[in-house]
Amino acid sequence: MDVAPTRPVPAKRRPIPGGKSVRVWRWTVITGVALLVLLVVHMIAHHFVVDEVGGLRTFQQVLEYISSPLIFTVECFFLITVTTHALMGLRAVLFDLGFGSRTRRRIDGALWVLGIVTVAYGFFLVGTLASRA
Amino acid sequence: MSQTTSTDRIPGLEERTRRGPVLRKGVGVSPSGWFDPRGRTIGSWAFAANRITGLGLVFYLYLHLGVLTMLLVGESMWNDFVELATNTVFLLLDVLLIFGILFHGLNGVRVALVGTGIVPDRQKALFWAFTVIGTLLLVYAAIHVLGGE
Repeated sequence: MDVAPTRPVPAKRRPIPGGKSVRVWRWTVITGVALLVLLVVHMIAHHFVVDEVGGLRTFQQVLEYISSPLIFTVECFFLITVTTHALMGLRAVLFDLGFGSRTRRRIDGALWVLGIVTVAYGFFLVGTLASRA
Repeated sequence: MSQTTSTDRIPGLEERTRRGPVLRKGVGVSPSGWFDPRGRTIGSWAFAANRITGLGLVFYLYLHLGVLTMLLVGESMWNDFVELATNTVFLLLDVLLIFGILFHGLNGVRVALVGTGIVPDRQKALFWAFTVIGTLLLVYAAIHVLGGE
């Protein structure tokens, strides 16, 4: 019985020279640029327009602030972006410690779990507060 | 015959050779080397400071989430925290946080501009320009944060 020659499976992603670390670095830059906007919005809207000392809102002011759909959306984007950027930066630092490939894979897995848990908890936090307003 | 090759300049190569072939797979300066001030250029100072501020900001991210959890507990707990967080020590820590954000953010812009090839050969000029911008923003923020005292 003749068997048809198998063709190489086409890669799902376009290969980038330098591999995964270069891809991660590019995402670090992209999220960093996004953070420039989101962090400035967060700092000004959250702390710099508040008259109280230290720029901290009272409990009621926080609930009113987070219940705005626009602010809620911006804060959710901010949470995802800052968590992604932070954990990719942490990955770069950890990888520079010179671990082997198995440990690197474990670090990658652990950071994915940490990132998902962080974002999930953040969504739970802002969602609960918005629902109490 | 003593001939200097490019491998002679790899940091820690001699130690790695002494310890064996595959004991340390990474290249570059070890983390303890970040704090070694000898023979540093502005670029390597900025690299070390960028990593230290970055690690500080990761710590602060989780601290911030922890603090915001107080909002779930109730109004009295949040108001107690606000009272505590508006004393001078906390406000000075806020200024330190803003310094970390400004340094990490502006240095990140510099690294991105150089690394992506948009401004490949103006590292030092960018560093000093962002230092001036960052200092001005920090002074403004510090006055705003501490001014209400």
